[in-house]
Amino acid sequence: MADYENPEIPEGINVSPTHPLKDFALLVAGISALLIVAVLAVSLLAGQLARHIPFEQEQALAASLGRWLPEPPDSPVDRQRQQYLQSLADRLAGTMELPPEMPITMHYSSSKTLNAMATLGGHVVVFQGLIDTLPSENALAMVLAHEIAHVRHRDPVVAMGRGFAVMLALSSLSGVGDGALQQWLGGVGMLPILSFSRSQEEAADATALQAVLDLYGHVGDAAAFFEEVAERQSAAHSPTMFNTHPDVNQRIARIREFSARHARPQPPSATSLPGFMKAT
Amino acid sequence: MIVTNIETVPGKAIVKHLGLVSGNTVRSKHAGRDLMAGLKNIFGGELKGYTELLTESRDEAVARMIDQARAVGANAVVNVRFSTSSVAAGAAELFAYGTAVVTE
Amino acid sequence: MYDLIFFLVLLLLGYVFGQHAEKKHFRSIIEREKQLRGILTFSERRIPDEANLQGTLVSGSVVISVDFFKNFVAGLRNLVGGRVSAYESLLERARREAVLRMKEKAQDFGAASVWNVRLETASIGKGRQQGGVGSVEVVAYGTAVKPR
Repeated sequence: MADYENPEIPEGINVSPTHPLKDFALLVAGISALLIVAVLAVSLLAGQLARHIPFEQEQALAASLGRWLPEPPDSPVDRQRQQYLQSLADRLAGTMELPPEMPITMHYSSSKTLNAMATLGGHVVVFQGLIDTLPSENALAMVLAHEIAHVRHRDPVVAMGRGFAVMLALSSLSGVGDGALQQWLGGVGMLPILSFSRSQEEAADATALQAVLDLYGHVGDAAAFFEEVAERQSAAHSPTMFNTHPDVNQRIARIREFSARHARPQPPSATSLPGFMKAT
Repeated sequence: MIVTNIETVPGKAIVKHLGLVSGNTVRSKHAGRDLMAGLKNIFGGELKGYTELLTESRDEAVARMIDQARAVGANAVVNVRFSTSSVAAGAAELFAYGTAVVTE
Repeated sequence: MYDLIFFLVLLLLGYVFGQHAEKKHFRSIIEREKQLRGILTFSERRIPDEANLQGTLVSGSVVISVDFFKNFVAGLRNLVGGRVSAYESLLERARREAVLRMKEKAQDFGAASVWNVRLETASIGKGRQQGGVGSVEVVAYGTAVKPR
């Protein structure tokens, strides 16, 4: 007759001894690094490829998506404003030696938004809210030159290419994990894209400064827009890492440095904006 | 260590029964394998990655069960059974359990 | 930004409460296992001295949910593969709890041993992905016997 008993089984055989937080830290760090490298590689590649899309194709693409651009203005003063913007842009484009097949189309929006943007197909939108904050034509020229520089550097199409490729790459992970994990992966994946556009912004600033210098012979008032933004931002400050645009203070500093290098013996006067440009 | 899924150890008499011992594990394959398995769903066929995953999990669960048996001084496990559960998608969770015994 | 804060709060809550609950549960399991040491469990069908015994089916079951933290870590682990240690302790808890509950039933019956013990898993929430809740469900059952 055999014996029957139940000896005590020691603990810890069926669980791994790793601390959950250590496991968590290792996984988060490892996967973030992997994901950032992978997204960087994908977006770099897609950006390089997108740069080779002919400008005509980009224009055709913009035309097919172009419904969100502001409608052509109907009031005479708005038309006058748009013509003024277009002529200023054309003058800047001339000094920037834009290729002839790369025309800049200016759009004016009477919205109070404090913004200007360059988009696919050489379309640049300027909002009245921005114009109202600018002290002179030089300041407006700086903003326009910055947007034109984006077009010239093919930044909109590169950004589109990158965004598309990264979205595709991240969505291939969609079978993995649940909502929270997805959100986290998406957030981490977008980080390198943001820092990429910051280098594009800086390049556009540099090109724009040169263009303004070439057009007016000085870069007075070039920092006006950023000074305005800095003033508004000082209340609600967001960390640079999560922002598409470089820190405005850094940009102001860069512009000041540039103007110091090209200083004139007597400070030149800024060209003032035509009266009809201000919405009062 | 002898492991059987019958009541006895063939050719040996059991002198002592030491009760239930069990092993459990949860394992998963990396995302690439999950992706390939998804693709394989289109064409059919064996999901090698998942077969491997199950084999690994089973081996680990059995190894842990054997560790428990060894810890209580047994030299065989009889009447072994497997069971699976499902907490996470794409992960294999296995129990292996049996009775630890001492044979002569 | 608010999403991130919300997410981190959930993660922290999951970690703090999940770890606390797990530690507490393990303590209670170890405690009750000591109390129920007298009831023996075997997975064999052959019961010695069967003719003088009477038996009944006893079973115990438990459903344990994963916490947000474990779920997230397991999701990450799923990307790289390997041992999902976050869920291992969960499975261990569920298995031991189910056996304990079965033993409690056996004790109520007045039995000193349980035979032919089987562990089964039900599936109530089939993993988070299918929109269910992530949980482990274990059923333990066997035949408890006592002298006639």
